[in-house]
Amino acid sequence: MTYTDPVFLCAFLPIVILIYNVLPQKHRWGVLLVSSYLFFWSISSKLIIYLLITTGIMYVAGQWINKVQGERDLKLKEIEKEHKKEIKAKYNKKTKSIAVLSTILLLSMLIVLKYSNFLGTNINSLFGFLKIPVKLAIPKFLMPIGISFYTLQAISYLVDVYKEKIKADKNLGRLALFISFFPQIMEGPICRYSDTAEDLYNGKKTTYTSLTFGTQRILFGMMKKLLIVDRINPVIIEIFDHYPNYDGGIVAIGMVLYTLQLYMDFSGVMDIVIGIAEIFGVKMPENFKQPFFSKTISEFWTRWHITLGTWFRDYIYYPVSLTQKCRDITAKARKKIGNYYGPLIASIIALFCVWACNGLWHGDAWSFIFFGMYHFVLITIERLTEPPVKKLLEKTKINSDAFPYRLMQMIRTTILVFIGELFFRAKGLKSGLNMFGKMVFNFSFAQFGKVFEMGIDVQDIVLVGVVVVAITIISILKEKKIDIRQSIANKNVFIRWTLYYLLIVAIILFGTYGIGIVHLDPIYANF
Amino acid sequence: MERLIEILQEINDGVDYETCTTLIDERYLDSLAIISLVAAIEEEFDVQIPTVEIVPENFNSAKALWNLIERLQEEG
Repeated sequence: MTYTDPVFLCAFLPIVILIYNVLPQKHRWGVLLVSSYLFFWSISSKLIIYLLITTGIMYVAGQWINKVQGERDLKLKEIEKEHKKEIKAKYNKKTKSIAVLSTILLLSMLIVLKYSNFLGTNINSLFGFLKIPVKLAIPKFLMPIGISFYTLQAISYLVDVYKEKIKADKNLGRLALFISFFPQIMEGPICRYSDTAEDLYNGKKTTYTSLTFGTQRILFGMMKKLLIVDRINPVIIEIFDHYPNYDGGIVAIGMVLYTLQLYMDFSGVMDIVIGIAEIFGVKMPENFKQPFFSKTISEFWTRWHITLGTWFRDYIYYPVSLTQKCRDITAKARKKIGNYYGPLIASIIALFCVWACNGLWHGDAWSFIFFGMYHFVLITIERLTEPPVKKLLEKTKINSDAFPYRLMQMIRTTILVFIGELFFRAKGLKSGLNMFGKMVFNFSFAQFGKVFEMGIDVQDIVLVGVVVVAITIISILKEKKIDIRQSIANKNVFIRWTLYYLLIVAIILFGTYGIGIVHLDPIYANF
Repeated sequence: MERLIEILQEINDGVDYETCTTLIDERYLDSLAIISLVAAIEEEFDVQIPTVEIVPENFNSAKALWNLIERLQEEG
């Protein structure tokens, strides 16, 4: 069952909404928790045990940290001011050990389930290369759905408790719901405890506004998914599976279409997830903010998969760049090479850690590590060249705020993103490099017509084009900070419902249904 | 406060720090600027900013940042 399955949308979700609203407010969180566990069970059955273990670790470690912090506060009240620092440090050491131990446990579960195969295969290759006569048996594990997402949520909860940003939750039910809420369990957004836990537990009644706004958002996501993602899928499969048969022009089409597909799939699922949460009165953090309007790769990653980016920023980038060692490096380097390049050294060290983890988080293959390192190199180059580029612009009197310059930056960033996604989708690093080589050394328009032999026709292309143009217009309006949903809600009932019906009819008429249609599983659910 | 604004202007001089309350939200200060800022503040005001304090609420305006510095100085 996925979020676009008719069973989910036409049976599971309406039944949950109905029971949720019929029951008194104090029981509604229970409805959400039971439905979340049922949803998880329907996809991962017995593997639900991993989710239960994660919840257990969060609860026990959270309470333990809280208890130690409570003891510390009592002690601090009793002693003189000059000893307070010493007591704080002593108790901080204890809470840190609990936080580190529990984080290691959570990460170990993820590493064993997700990376055993990759690690085992590479260690065996290394042994072979070094002529060491040892061959490790490689265990194969089934992964529960969403483990990469909910593990990050669990770690952020424990770190935030340790850092005293939040209090550990004494209510096991609320904590269990925070980590398992069914709309987000598959693909995020990766929420912080302070973002959603309270709203989920409050059990706000579904109102006319939350229902219509939520449904609007679900329909918008469905449109992306059913009108674009599945429709262009046959072309992408053909090009990526059989790229040796085609020239660089066709490979470039595959690369652009895959980036379009990934964006429409992931942002479409996010629209559905955020829309469902809205119906239950829960405000989820946004995961996309018109990423293709970014002027740099750094900016792109503040607009694409935002909750993953902010997670890496808060739990890897700052902690690494602000370790005592890095602080010392920054302090010394500032005096020698100034207040831009000085701090850049610590920033680059932290960026390397972030992008190595980002690549690995996406999957257990060298192509994902390459994907991470590709972005690390691009962002590092951007950082290193920022001051000279600024100087050059000042000298040549080019206005960097002018539209043509910004457009050029957006096009450059988009092309770099396309290349990154080519490696992301390619079947292994070698294929990725071969495909990239074809685009550079064997580009031509000669085979463009072959696209029509790949399972789509002119109508499909026109339809995809119309939807892409519509979504681009909506994105431009959003970029100009125009609240489209509110402006639709302000229109009179006739115009409003005509728009809703048009969207529903478009999805029914032009959506990809029927015999022979293979729906693409949500791409990010596999991570 | 004046010295803090000078430090902020050295990092990004295109902002009115007296009135701006969205330094992080509007990306006037990015993650690299935060590291520069932390290093400059620590040197200038003899405080250490723990990572737990690196949150938008403390960095969105010069006023919020100044409050953070004063609080850290008091805590010693």
